[in-house]
Amino acid sequence: MKNGFGFKDFVFFVLLLGIALSMWLLMVQRDRQWVLLQRVDDRLLELEKRIQQIRVAPVAAASAATNSNAAVNSAAPSDNAWARPGVKVEQWKAPTAATDPAKIPGYAMGGEFTELFEAQPAKLTPYISSDVYSTRVNDRVFENLGTFDPRTLKMVGQLADGWQIDPDGLWIRAHINPLAHFSDGHPVTSEDVRYTYIDFINNPLIEAERTRSTQDNLKDVKVIDDHTVEFIFKEPLFTNILIAFGDPILPKHYYGTFEPSQINQSTGMMMGSGQFRLEKLPKNADDLKNQWTPGQDVVLVRNEQYWAQPAPLASMRFRTIKDDLGRLVAYRNGEGSMMLPTSPQFNKIMKEEPEFEKTNYALTWTNMRCGYSFIAWQCGPRAGKGLTPFADKRVRRAMTMLLDREKMIRDIWDGIGIVSKGPVNPESPGSDPSVAPLPFDFEKAKALLAEAGWKDRDGDGILENEKGDKFTFEYTYATGGEISERIARFVKDSFGKAGIVMTTRPVDWSRYQELLKLRDFDAITMGWGNNAPESDPRQIWHSESIKEGGDNFTQWNSPECDALIEKGRRAMNEAERMQVWRQFEACVAEDQAYTFIRVAPWLRFVKRDFGNVNTYKTGLEPQEFFRVSAVPVKN
Amino acid sequence: MVTYLVRRSLLMIPTLLGITLMVFMLLALAPGGIGASMQAAGGQGNTTGIAQQQAYLEDRYGLSEPVIVQYGKWLSSISPIKFGTRDLRMLSGERVSVPRPIPEPSLPQVFPPPAMPSVVFTPSTDESQIAEFKGLQRDAEGARRSYVGSVRLFRDALADVARAVGAPLVGRLDGKGGAKPNDFSDVLIVLDAAQATAQKDATPKRVEQLALARAKLFAAAKTMDTNWALAEETRQRATTAFLAGPYPKSGFPIIPNLVSLDTSDFGVAFSKNRPVWDLIIEALPVTLLINLIAFPISYLIAVPTGVIASVRRGSWFDTLTGVLYLSLYSIPTVLAGVFAIGFLANNQYLGLFPVSGLHDTTADTMAFLPSTNAAGIWKSGWLLDLVWHIALPVLCLTYGSFAILSKQTRASMLDNLSADYVRTAKAKGVARNDVVVRHVFRNSLLPLITMFVGIFPAMLGGSVVVERIFSVPGMGSLILDAISNNDRDLILADTLMIAAVNVFALLLADILYAVADPRVSYE
Repeated sequence: MKNGFGFKDFVFFVLLLGIALSMWLLMVQRDRQWVLLQRVDDRLLELEKRIQQIRVAPVAAASAATNSNAAVNSAAPSDNAWARPGVKVEQWKAPTAATDPAKIPGYAMGGEFTELFEAQPAKLTPYISSDVYSTRVNDRVFENLGTFDPRTLKMVGQLADGWQIDPDGLWIRAHINPLAHFSDGHPVTSEDVRYTYIDFINNPLIEAERTRSTQDNLKDVKVIDDHTVEFIFKEPLFTNILIAFGDPILPKHYYGTFEPSQINQSTGMMMGSGQFRLEKLPKNADDLKNQWTPGQDVVLVRNEQYWAQPAPLASMRFRTIKDDLGRLVAYRNGEGSMMLPTSPQFNKIMKEEPEFEKTNYALTWTNMRCGYSFIAWQCGPRAGKGLTPFADKRVRRAMTMLLDREKMIRDIWDGIGIVSKGPVNPESPGSDPSVAPLPFDFEKAKALLAEAGWKDRDGDGILENEKGDKFTFEYTYATGGEISERIARFVKDSFGKAGIVMTTRPVDWSRYQELLKLRDFDAITMGWGNNAPESDPRQIWHSESIKEGGDNFTQWNSPECDALIEKGRRAMNEAERMQVWRQFEACVAEDQAYTFIRVAPWLRFVKRDFGNVNTYKTGLEPQEFFRVSAVPVKN
Repeated sequence: MVTYLVRRSLLMIPTLLGITLMVFMLLALAPGGIGASMQAAGGQGNTTGIAQQQAYLEDRYGLSEPVIVQYGKWLSSISPIKFGTRDLRMLSGERVSVPRPIPEPSLPQVFPPPAMPSVVFTPSTDESQIAEFKGLQRDAEGARRSYVGSVRLFRDALADVARAVGAPLVGRLDGKGGAKPNDFSDVLIVLDAAQATAQKDATPKRVEQLALARAKLFAAAKTMDTNWALAEETRQRATTAFLAGPYPKSGFPIIPNLVSLDTSDFGVAFSKNRPVWDLIIEALPVTLLINLIAFPISYLIAVPTGVIASVRRGSWFDTLTGVLYLSLYSIPTVLAGVFAIGFLANNQYLGLFPVSGLHDTTADTMAFLPSTNAAGIWKSGWLLDLVWHIALPVLCLTYGSFAILSKQTRASMLDNLSADYVRTAKAKGVARNDVVVRHVFRNSLLPLITMFVGIFPAMLGGSVVVERIFSVPGMGSLILDAISNNDRDLILADTLMIAAVNVFALLLADILYAVADPRVSYE
């Protein structure tokens, strides 16, 4: 082989590469122009459509006026012709902002709000996606029949302007507000509701398994007339209300044009009736390339055709920055308008920078989405073998009293958080505000342990039972967090003072699930999340859930509590049910199958460039924010 | 040469198979096994609902099968050579496979299943054919879902019986308290005996408990059998409709109905619920972009400094670059990334660079090249905006490689500088620069070739650390996510791709050797 590659060849090669590169750059530039043109074109089309609608509207109004004599009787707003006779009808007005932004000084329309996410949502299409970030985006784009009132946490109408709930819990009938329409102008009808439940969620070809498995109790959705729909259930459970009112309604005329496999593989199919709409939405099956993909910012623009009070903000942007420091720096540089700081970040800034709150809201509050952390005690046989000391209720109560949880929160979380007292969210009406968590009481705890037979019998400082077995147990926690290490040390010290020997077992999170399933632990620490004021406690607390697959991994069995759970699940009346949940809370607190540690509050930094930032029991309502700025903004 | 290439190419196949097999086995050995992350969500819904959901997801992704079967299925789906019935392809490009066979009901010897339903069904052939097929597909999937769920409930009922009876049945439960039906072929005999003893001992509580468990078992078996019959019937219908061909066939036949050629299917990443190929196609350009900028920069800086350092060996330049590069090399990327964000990007300090993203939010409306607008204000334009955004990640990727590259160049240059032919060239009066560039440098390129091919796999693999710190949605983040979720198909596709690129890069290195060095020959 002759080696003839000389300097000239090299120059030639470099030139060739240079030409190829500039060709490529030229094509990139061409593409950008094309995309821009396409967007302008789309906008023109939409404008044309809207003009047409405006033209049609006066004609319709005029024809309605001529028929008004006939229409008056049947179309009066308080008409309940759709309702089943004899059952109470609850009426709702069109949704409004919880705090009217227009009444706040500095109110202006327009501006962009950027929220920084900690993790990347894999997809946004509702029901197909499962993470909390896609839910936050979905909440802005979609509406449900009902929603939780931000102040009272009562279920109130959103798309529905009225509903009836069967006192026996077997059916729910809802009437959709006739004004409601999707962001493309199509009205929301009962066919859309039926499509959402029967042809989307419960279509086995669509991968909405996570929502589907919560709807086992749904038997059918019947279309009564254009705006009336009836849900039929198999069993009378309170969760029926959450099923019927808590899921976003999808437009049939849009989602129905796609194959199930296209919906399954989609990343950004979001068209709803909410205050915002996705900027980059595939129009039909031939347009699937025009879709949001993970890695890009999610951009929502104001739904100009929103059927109730429109949002003040012109657009919302969601950007993911995984690195904690990077997120904080980006927020402070103005690349984000809202972020979730870690507790150390929050504390450091609050301590060291008194000026910070002049330009930022530093918010911390407890709301219905706050979960709680706990130590779970093994009340049954560990991994099917012997009983642990925690089978005795007195020991569990003593363990809780030995733990100074207020000090824990002070030392470990720098005082952010409140002591948790039970499984019900403290903001929920199902939690009794007069009930306090078990106090930290060393002497009383020792007395309880002695009563259960655990005393220091040989004077070595360690407790023994009658047989002479020493009180030792193993504490399991997940590796990979400084916080969990500190908790482990604190817990070990606290119990050590009382003569209890604790060994620690750090395990990887992926092994955690297996240990829980096997019930292979003495004590394990974890947390449960929350996203609604009440959830069905059966999965975690009922003795039926001790079996395989159930989340009652402490194997705690209380017939009294089982009865309360069954009673609460079947109580359709909200006030009555909340009463039962309060009893249930007391019942769990009495037995202390968990030592409840801390309710983690929400932490948020929001720029003061935005007004009407209020904390609610539902969290934040960014659709009410407005941009206060002297700088002219793109409307 | 050609024989050599063919032999090398054929050897790649077992290498790649070995790598994927090893990764697959490691996945299965990982705590929780394949698909552990899918079972994570808890606390909502009821117990039976969750058990059924899990059963269904396991069935859907084939997780309940033995590892070696899963591996075989994976191989056959990525292989371009397909056996058996050919898939159909919808007009939109999606592939439709023949409905999967339904597993037999558990414990047929104890609870005889109903006779196999035989369906006589003539699918329509007019324009309603596609709609009919879609309906049947949906029915079949729904029936399969309820059947798979009821099998799980039957196993729960068996476990309940075992717990109620106690020894000897309870010992056969597995670690998680579940029952493998095949271990319970004598369940009715044992149960009968236990009930008889309980009657005789007159222990009413136990009698009641056993009777309850028995009733539940029979009910579960009955539901399972009915669901099986339904699932089997709908499957047969859907299969008939499938064979009638509502869509055109996919691929290219070799032996009709037996062997065909078709595109590879890399499966669906179950942690993200998206086709693996889509995920890779999204992540790859980002990683390629950053690396294609980073690698030339590191070569353009490191190689010339290495050459100069060797020519002026021992000079202040040699020492300075040596010290500088080595100290850069010893800074961990994590630290450098954090410093870069904390100081270079932070407005409280320098604030020179953006923290995240590849573009400014207004990039869409920018001109391509830098320009001045009507008011005479300078605008950076799209291209510079991109460069500005990726400057920090590129910096973090490049600084560490200076030391290795320049030291390598320097060392091989020094080897050659002291060679006889250099002395001869100098002696016959060749200009100093010509000696260095034309003689020494060209002969010193060989080790750089080895290093050069090594960057290809790195280019595709991406840098896990840099991508995480700077929120770059590239291959590194994708692989990291896949591993932490134990996502079978995604990990396998990633490793397969990186392994393939590695193998090809090594081959390329061998070819380049032959080109660069006439002494190397593969004849």
